[in-house]
Amino acid sequence: MNYPVWQLDIFGGGFLIAFVAVVHVFVSHFAVGGGLFLVLVEMKGYREQNSAIINFTKKHTKFFLLLTMVFGGMTGVGIWFTIALLNPAATSSLIHTFVFGWAIEWVFFFCEVLSLLLYYYTFNKLSSRSHLILGWLYFIFAWLSLFVINGIIDFMLTPGTWLENRDFWAGFFNPTFWPALFFRTFMALLIAGLFGFLTSVKIKDEELRHTMVRYCGIWLLVPLLLLLGSAWWYKEALPPEQQQAIFTMMPELKRYLAGFVYASPLLILGGLVMAFFRPQAVRKPVGWFLLIIGFIYMGCFEFIREGGRRPYIIYDYMYSNTILKKDLAKYQENGVLKTARWLKNREVTPENRVAAGRELYNLLCLHCHSIGGPLNNIVPRIEPYTPEGMKGFVLSMGVANPYMPPFPGNEEDASVLADFLATTLSSNGAVKEHQYRGEEVQTASFNPEESEYILLASTTLGMALSSNPQVSGIDFSFAPPTIRAQLFRRGETPELISEEAELSYVYKEAEGEKRGDLSFSDDYFQTALETIPRSSGTFKPYVIATLTARIDGEPVAETKVKIGVSTEAGCRNCHSGDWQQDDVYGMSRQTAANILEMHDKHSKTDLSVIFQTGGTIVCSFCHGDSARGTTGGAGVLNLSAAIHGFHSAHLNKLEDGSSCNLCHTSADRGATRSFDGIHKSLELDCSNCHGSIVDHAVSLLKSELAAGKKRADVLLKRVAGLGSVAQNEIKPRKPWVMEPDCLNCHEDFEAPDSDDGFNRWTEDEKSLFHNRTGEEEVILCISCHGPPHSLYPAAHAYGLEKGGLQPLQYQKSLYPIAADRGCAVCHTVEMDEELHHTGSLADFRNRVDDD
Amino acid sequence: MTAAQLIPAPDPLQVPWGWFQLFLSATGLLHFLVMNCMLGFAIIAFTNHFRATGVEDENRMIGSKLPILIAFTVNIGIAPLLFLQVLYGHIMYATQVLMAVWSFSIIIMLLVGYYSAYIYDMRFERLGRYRVVLSGLVACILLAIAFITSVNMSFMVRVDGWSEYFNRPEGFLLNLGDPTLYPRFLHFVLASVAVGSLILALYYDFRQRKGESEAALLVAPAMKRFTLATLANIAIGFWFFLSLPKHARPMTGDLGILFLSGLTPSIVLALLVVVLGWKKKVRLTAWTLLATIIFMAFTREVVRVSALSPWFSVKELEVVPQYSPLIAFLLVFVFGLWMAWYMIRLVIRDKEVSS
Repeated sequence: MNYPVWQLDIFGGGFLIAFVAVVHVFVSHFAVGGGLFLVLVEMKGYREQNSAIINFTKKHTKFFLLLTMVFGGMTGVGIWFTIALLNPAATSSLIHTFVFGWAIEWVFFFCEVLSLLLYYYTFNKLSSRSHLILGWLYFIFAWLSLFVINGIIDFMLTPGTWLENRDFWAGFFNPTFWPALFFRTFMALLIAGLFGFLTSVKIKDEELRHTMVRYCGIWLLVPLLLLLGSAWWYKEALPPEQQQAIFTMMPELKRYLAGFVYASPLLILGGLVMAFFRPQAVRKPVGWFLLIIGFIYMGCFEFIREGGRRPYIIYDYMYSNTILKKDLAKYQENGVLKTARWLKNREVTPENRVAAGRELYNLLCLHCHSIGGPLNNIVPRIEPYTPEGMKGFVLSMGVANPYMPPFPGNEEDASVLADFLATTLSSNGAVKEHQYRGEEVQTASFNPEESEYILLASTTLGMALSSNPQVSGIDFSFAPPTIRAQLFRRGETPELISEEAELSYVYKEAEGEKRGDLSFSDDYFQTALETIPRSSGTFKPYVIATLTARIDGEPVAETKVKIGVSTEAGCRNCHSGDWQQDDVYGMSRQTAANILEMHDKHSKTDLSVIFQTGGTIVCSFCHGDSARGTTGGAGVLNLSAAIHGFHSAHLNKLEDGSSCNLCHTSADRGATRSFDGIHKSLELDCSNCHGSIVDHAVSLLKSELAAGKKRADVLLKRVAGLGSVAQNEIKPRKPWVMEPDCLNCHEDFEAPDSDDGFNRWTEDEKSLFHNRTGEEEVILCISCHGPPHSLYPAAHAYGLEKGGLQPLQYQKSLYPIAADRGCAVCHTVEMDEELHHTGSLADFRNRVDDD
Repeated sequence: MTAAQLIPAPDPLQVPWGWFQLFLSATGLLHFLVMNCMLGFAIIAFTNHFRATGVEDENRMIGSKLPILIAFTVNIGIAPLLFLQVLYGHIMYATQVLMAVWSFSIIIMLLVGYYSAYIYDMRFERLGRYRVVLSGLVACILLAIAFITSVNMSFMVRVDGWSEYFNRPEGFLLNLGDPTLYPRFLHFVLASVAVGSLILALYYDFRQRKGESEAALLVAPAMKRFTLATLANIAIGFWFFLSLPKHARPMTGDLGILFLSGLTPSIVLALLVVVLGWKKKVRLTAWTLLATIIFMAFTREVVRVSALSPWFSVKELEVVPQYSPLIAFLLVFVFGLWMAWYMIRLVIRDKEVSS
C-alpha cells in the first residue's frame, strides 16, 4: 500500500524471488560447506603427501570460485534487488530492523571474497601452512555470513519477542535461530559432498577417483543424518500454530513436505551407490542425479519455510501483501481505494471499475498470485466463482484458509476486486436477470354473500429447494412440500369442519398432473407430497395446486395454493458449473462434481467415484436431516450444521442476508426471489431472524457439539470471534425443530419493539410457525398469514396474485385473511372481540401499495 | 494527487541519520574508486582492440584484473547501497519498482558480464580475434548497468515524474526525458575512463621504478588518455551542473554553503589534475584526483539532498535508538579490516620468504 507494485502477470506470485532465491541458496550453502571441504581435502593431500589430491583440490577450487563467487555472489545481490522490487515494504522493514546485521554480513562477505581470491590465486605459491590458513579463514567467514543471514531469515519466520520489544538481538536470536543454524550448516556440508561428486568422478586416476568419491560420500551421508535430526529440532522450535499451519493446513505445501521426505532416502541410497559402485557409467549419472535431488531437497525446504510464515512475510507483523497487522483494521474501515498511496482510481465509476479492480489486484493479490504464471496462478483458483461468490470469498479470506491474509479492504473494495477477478480474469458469469414469466392465475371463486364454506390453505414452508438430483446427481434437497388446509363453515361462529369433509388436491407439473387427498388430524387437513414438484414449461418457482373440499361427495369449497419450489441452489457461485437450464436454474452435474470433489478433499471421502459411476449422492444419508427423516452416520454432523458450519468460514463477512442469498433462493436478483413476504417489504433480511451466517452456524454446531460430534468443535473454533454474537451466548438449536420464534419480536402478538429475532428458539415443533395457532387454538397462523418467508402481503416476482391467492380470492386484497376488520370473511358479520390475537381487529399495520 | 503524496512513509532509524550518512559517504567513495577502475579498464580493454599495436600485454593484464575488480566493485557496492537504502530506501524502492524490468536486468547482465570477464581472462590466448567481441560485451554490459544505475539515481530525485507509473505499471519506465540523465551518465563514464587510465599509468610507473624501462613508454599514453578524459569531463560536469534543477544546485542558505564548499574545490582540483596530468606527474596526479573525487562525492551528496528537499529530508526520519547493533558493527568492521590486512600481509610475507 505504501509502495507501487511491479505489475507482473505471468511472473507474479513470487516466481522471480522463488527462482532467484532457490538457486542462490543452493549455491551459497555450497559456498559454506565447500569451503570446509576444500581445506580438509587439501589437508588430506598434505597428510597423505599425495600431490594428486592437492591438484584435485586446486581444480575443485577453480570450479568452486566460478560457481560460488560469481553465480552465488551475484544471485545473492540478485535476491536483494528482487525482494526490493517485489516487496519493498518488507525489504525496507528488514533493512531498517537489521541494518547493522546486514553491515556485519557485508564485512564477513568482504573477508570471504578476499580470502577466496587469495586462496585461489596463491595455490602452489604459498607455504602449505599459510595457504591452509587462508582456506580456514575463508570457511570461517563463509560460515559467519551464514550465521548472520540465518538470524535475519529466521526472524521472518519466528520474530519471537521482537514483536513486543523491537529489540535487535531478540529478533536476531529468535526462537528458530539455533536449530536453523545447525540445519543449514549440515545442509551446507551435504551440498559440498554433492558437488564433490561432480568433480571427483572426473579424476582420471581410478584409485584416486574411488578414494575421493567415497570421501564425498561421507560428506553426503554423515551431514544428512545430522540434518534430519536438526530438522526435527527446527520443527519443534516452531510455535504450535505455525507447525499446524505447515503440516496440516496448507494444501500446496504437501508436495514440498513430500519432496523433503522422499528425497532423504534417495540421497542416502544415492550416496551408498556412489560409495560402492565403481563403474563410471553408474557414478556420473548418479552424481548428477544426486545433485538434482539435493537441489529439490533445498528447494522443498525453502518453500516449506516460506510457507510457515504465511499469511505473513514477517510473521505476526507484516502480511504478505505488505500490510502491517496493526494497520489492518484501519484499512478495513477506511478502504483501500480511499487510502492506498499508489492508486489512481479512487472513485469507482462503471467506466473505471475494471481498472480500479486491477489496481486492487496489484496491491492486494499480486504479491502471492500470478496471472497465468507457473507459481500460484490465480486463474484456476478463481474460475469457480461468480462475482457474488468471489466477493464472499474475498471478504472471508484468512478464516477457512488461514494461509491467506484477511481482506484489508471494505465492502466496496471487495466488490470491485471480485468483479475484476470473476469477470476479467475469469468468466463464470454474474447472476443473470431472469425473464419473469408466469401466466396469470385466476383465483378460485368465492361469493362473500353466498358461499357457505371457506377453505384456507398454505404450504408449511415458503419454498422447497431442490438440488435437482435427477440431473445433478447430488441430493441435498429440502423435504418435499406439505400442504395444510382448514375448512370452515361460515357463520357468526364459524365451525371447523373435520372428518366429515374430504379434501383433494391437483396440480400440474413437469411430469404431468398430480392428484391426491389430504387427511385430517389435529384441526387441519394435511398432505406431504412425495417429491418436490417441478414447474412445467419455462422456469417458475412455484406450482399452483387446486384444493377442493367435498362433503358427501359434493364440492363445497375450492381454493388455490402456491407451492414454492425452486432448483436455484446457488452452489455454482463458488463451485462453478453452468446452470442446468435457461442460464438461471437447476444444478448441473458439473457443479455437483465440483462440490463432491471438494468434499472428498476435505473429508477424505470417495464420493466422486460413486458419482462418476452414475450414482446419486444423497447427502442426508450420512448427514442426518430430521425434515427428511434421516438420522445420518454416527458422529457425523447433521446436514444443516455441516453445510452452514463449513460455509460460514467462507462467507462470514457478507453483510446482512447476502451470504444466505448466495446459496438459498432469496436473492433479490435471482430467478426465484423466495423471500417476498411482508418482512421483505419492511426491509428485513434473513439475519434479523436467523442471525448472521456465522451466528446461525454456531447455533447449529453447538447443538451438535453437545451431542458429542467433534467436527463441530473444529468448525466452531474456525469461526470464533467472527459472529455478531459471542459464541458462548448463542443457544444451541436443532434444525427444522428449533427455529426463531415469531413471538420474539411479536411479543403477545403485539407490534414488535425490535427487529432482532435471533437466539430465541421455539422450544419444540409445536411452537413452529406452521404448527402454531391463534389464541383461540384452532386456526393455524399459516391459514391466515400464508407460509413462512412469503407472509401476506407478499410481493411475488411472477405476479402479485401468486403471493396472495387466498386473500385475493376471499377479500380482494393481498393482506392477511380478515385483515382490516374483514371478520365477515368467516364470521359473515363484523366482530368486536379479538379472539384470534391482539390486533386482529385493527387495520393492518404495514401498508403496501394497494394498487 | 500531488507528487509528495506518492512518497512512501519511511521506516525509523536505529541511530541518528548522521551515522548512516558517514558510512554512506565513506563506503560510497571506496565503491566509486573501484567501480571507476573496473569500468575504465573494461572500456580501455575494448577500445585497445581498435588500436594498431602494442595492446595485447595491456589487455592481458586488464583481463586478469577485471574479474577481481568486478568482485570488489559488487562487494564494496553493497555497503553504500545498504546505507543509501536506510536513509532513502522508501524513495529508492519506489523508483526501482517503476523501472523494475531494468533494475532486475542488472543481475542478469552482471552475471553474463562477470562470466565473460572470466572467460576473457582464462581463455585469453585461445580467444584470438574473439577477444574484441568478448571485451566489447563486457564493456557494453557494464555501461548498460551504469546507465540503469544513473537512471535510478536521477529518477529517485525526480519525484514529479513518478506519476507516469499509473500509465505504465509494468516496470519499463526509464525517465529518459530527465535532462540530468545524460550528463550524469557521461560524467561517470568519463571519470571511469580517466581513473582506469590513471591506474594503468600508476602501474606502468611502478614497473618503471622497479627497473622495467619499457614500461616507461606506456606511462605517457595512459596519462594522455587520462588528461583528455578529465578535460572532457570538466565540460560534461559543467553541462551536468546546468542541467540540474535550480533547487538541486543551491547557492544560498545552509545547503548553498555546503554545495559551494564542495563544488568550488572540486573544480579547482579538477583543473589542477588536468595540469598535473598533462605534465605526467603520475603519483601527484593520483593524490590530487583522490582529493577531487572526495570533494565531488561530497558535492554529489549535497545535490541529492537539495534535489529531494522539496519533498523529503533525512532530518525528518524518526529515530528509535538502539546503539548496541552499531557498536557490534563497528567492532566487526575493525576486526574485518584487521583480518583483511592480516591475510594480505600473510601472502606478501610468505611470498617474500619463498622468493
